[in-house]
Amino acid sequence: MEGTPAICAESARSPILQLGGVWHSYGAVTVLHNISLHVERGEFLTLLGPSGSGKSTLLRIIAGLENPQKVAMMLLDGMDITWAPANERNVSTVFQHFALFPHMSVGENVEYSLKLRRIPAPERRRRAESMLSLVRLTGKYDRRIYQLSGGERQRVALARSLVMGPDILLLDEPLGALDERLRLDMQRELIELRRATGVTFILVTHSQEEAVSMSDRIALMRAGTIEQLGSPNDLFSRPQTEFAARFMGFENVMHGILRAKRGDLAEVDVGGATLLGRMVSKSAAMNPGDRVFAAIRAEHVEVDCQRTGNSVTAVRGDPIYKGRYYDIPFSTQLGTLIARFGELPVNLACKTNITFSPERCVVGVLGPEGIH
Amino acid sequence: MSVIVLDKDAAVSHLQRRPRVSLERGAIILVTALWVLGALMPILALFVISVLRAKGLSFDFSLTLQAYRDVLVDFRLEIILRTLRVVAVVTLIEFLLGYPFAIWLAKGIRSGLAKSIILVLLVVPFFLSPAARTIVWRSILGNDGLINNLLLSVGLVDTPVSWLLFSEFAVHLGLIGPYFPSMVWPIFISVSLIDDELIKASRDLGATGLQTLWYVVTPLAVPGIVAGFLFTAIPMLGDNVASTLLGGGRVALIAESFDDLIRAMNFTGAAALGAILVVAVIATALIIRWVLVHLDRNNGHRLKVMSS
Repeated sequence: MEGTPAICAESARSPILQLGGVWHSYGAVTVLHNISLHVERGEFLTLLGPSGSGKSTLLRIIAGLENPQKVAMMLLDGMDITWAPANERNVSTVFQHFALFPHMSVGENVEYSLKLRRIPAPERRRRAESMLSLVRLTGKYDRRIYQLSGGERQRVALARSLVMGPDILLLDEPLGALDERLRLDMQRELIELRRATGVTFILVTHSQEEAVSMSDRIALMRAGTIEQLGSPNDLFSRPQTEFAARFMGFENVMHGILRAKRGDLAEVDVGGATLLGRMVSKSAAMNPGDRVFAAIRAEHVEVDCQRTGNSVTAVRGDPIYKGRYYDIPFSTQLGTLIARFGELPVNLACKTNITFSPERCVVGVLGPEGIH
Repeated sequence: MSVIVLDKDAAVSHLQRRPRVSLERGAIILVTALWVLGALMPILALFVISVLRAKGLSFDFSLTLQAYRDVLVDFRLEIILRTLRVVAVVTLIEFLLGYPFAIWLAKGIRSGLAKSIILVLLVVPFFLSPAARTIVWRSILGNDGLINNLLLSVGLVDTPVSWLLFSEFAVHLGLIGPYFPSMVWPIFISVSLIDDELIKASRDLGATGLQTLWYVVTPLAVPGIVAGFLFTAIPMLGDNVASTLLGGGRVALIAESFDDLIRAMNFTGAAALGAILVVAVIATALIIRWVLVHLDRNNGHRLKVMSS
């Protein structure tokens, strides 16, 4: 015991998972391009991206359920697992449709990994019961799988994976199969479960809202590459690329040319009009004359008579009712801008002025694919 | 007037009742009737005829167990026991060969085309007459057949190996081919129905291939395995091709006894033998089911569903 604190301190510094140069393809289609990723001990990392971005493939490669074509480094807790089969990796997956064994009871499902490790039955039962109480399924030990609701199945799958004490818990769109209400509850439960167990979670999802509300870090994936890696706040308010801005829910994305740099701010020419925005790409990477994007969220576009910040004359379109708010499109010199209102503004003139703060408007360089 | 009102009521209630005799219900009644006529009645007739007294080509309608006494003589008991033993051994061999093959076919092959081709190849031999398929073994197993020629030319033996043909060995071998698909098909179907994710989940939780086979695949394939055993063993009980062509008169199986009894116009005897066989089959099926239910009580509910 005397020696362990030093070892713990040592291992606490090293990432739990280190991936370097991971390539994979299905036939002629490359699904992962040279992915490198370090995952810290105990963190909640989300792989976020649209379908086909390679996020699920990456998860399966970490689980060992798929072998990458080329890999430079794959270390789990400092150990090379590049060619270790799935059953020899101390990681566990919660599958999208839970993949619970239909011929076993809830308890037998949870105990499965312990049974494989030849742990005696009373000990198995004790650990399964305590795991079931952790996921709030106390007393459901003898239930059959078909007697459970979707949310309960989800929790059995979590208990089954966590009972073996994995280094990493991999979650493959685990909330996709649940209805809206349950999804929100499960988000909170997952966060609490991570806190209670201290296990590293890697979650795959295509919902930016899920990613932002649960993760410590988000890796935004696109066509087999990591587009941006950072905290939820980084991605939410400082998307580095046009793709990231659109995926993170910026309703208004414009293309323009960088005219000048003023400290943190950039002066951008969009269709003849000039707007000010905050540079998100590294300042050094941006030069006047570069093609850039400027993005602003609908809730940050205001109808205002005072000409503060960016201001542009606009012609109002028809409001779109979205339940909790209204979106109103405005035709402007910058293109169509959508503004969001909690309630329909009264006496809104057909022709008006809309404004948005330069602080809220992000400006970044356009990648080669953004230039047409 | 009241009569008219009553009629009207009757008409209304008749209209209301009409949808109850649906197409589905009609189909069920029809199929049940056909089953009773086509399957149950002949079996019942078998039992009835077996307890009648033969009178020339007709029957004397008095109850007797004479037919059973005639049929259950020493040599026929020997034949019955031999048949049961051969069928049990060959069915077990079929399972040992067919189970891995069915798993490979269901989960091992990724290409759909390759799978279809193999499935077709599995059926193609059945377009050939059973006798033609079986008699080929003679030119392979015979004294100057393929195997003996090979062994002689290599110098492994000096005289031809005689037990290859016209022996129990030959009958076993001859039975394996024809009944292989009937073991593979039902198992293939039930293994195909197992979600790939369950197999992945098992591996993910630390199971080796063999552990996954034992704890996940096999319990879920039990309905197919039971069906495979029944589909293989029951028709094999009535097979007379392999024993006639490859047994050389030394390995008489029960099917030949039927031929003999019918040829001798001993219909009550044939019926009695048939009745014994039917009872043996039902008893075996019940024993298998009882064993399975008690071996793995978790699968009980599924087996009940299957057998009902």
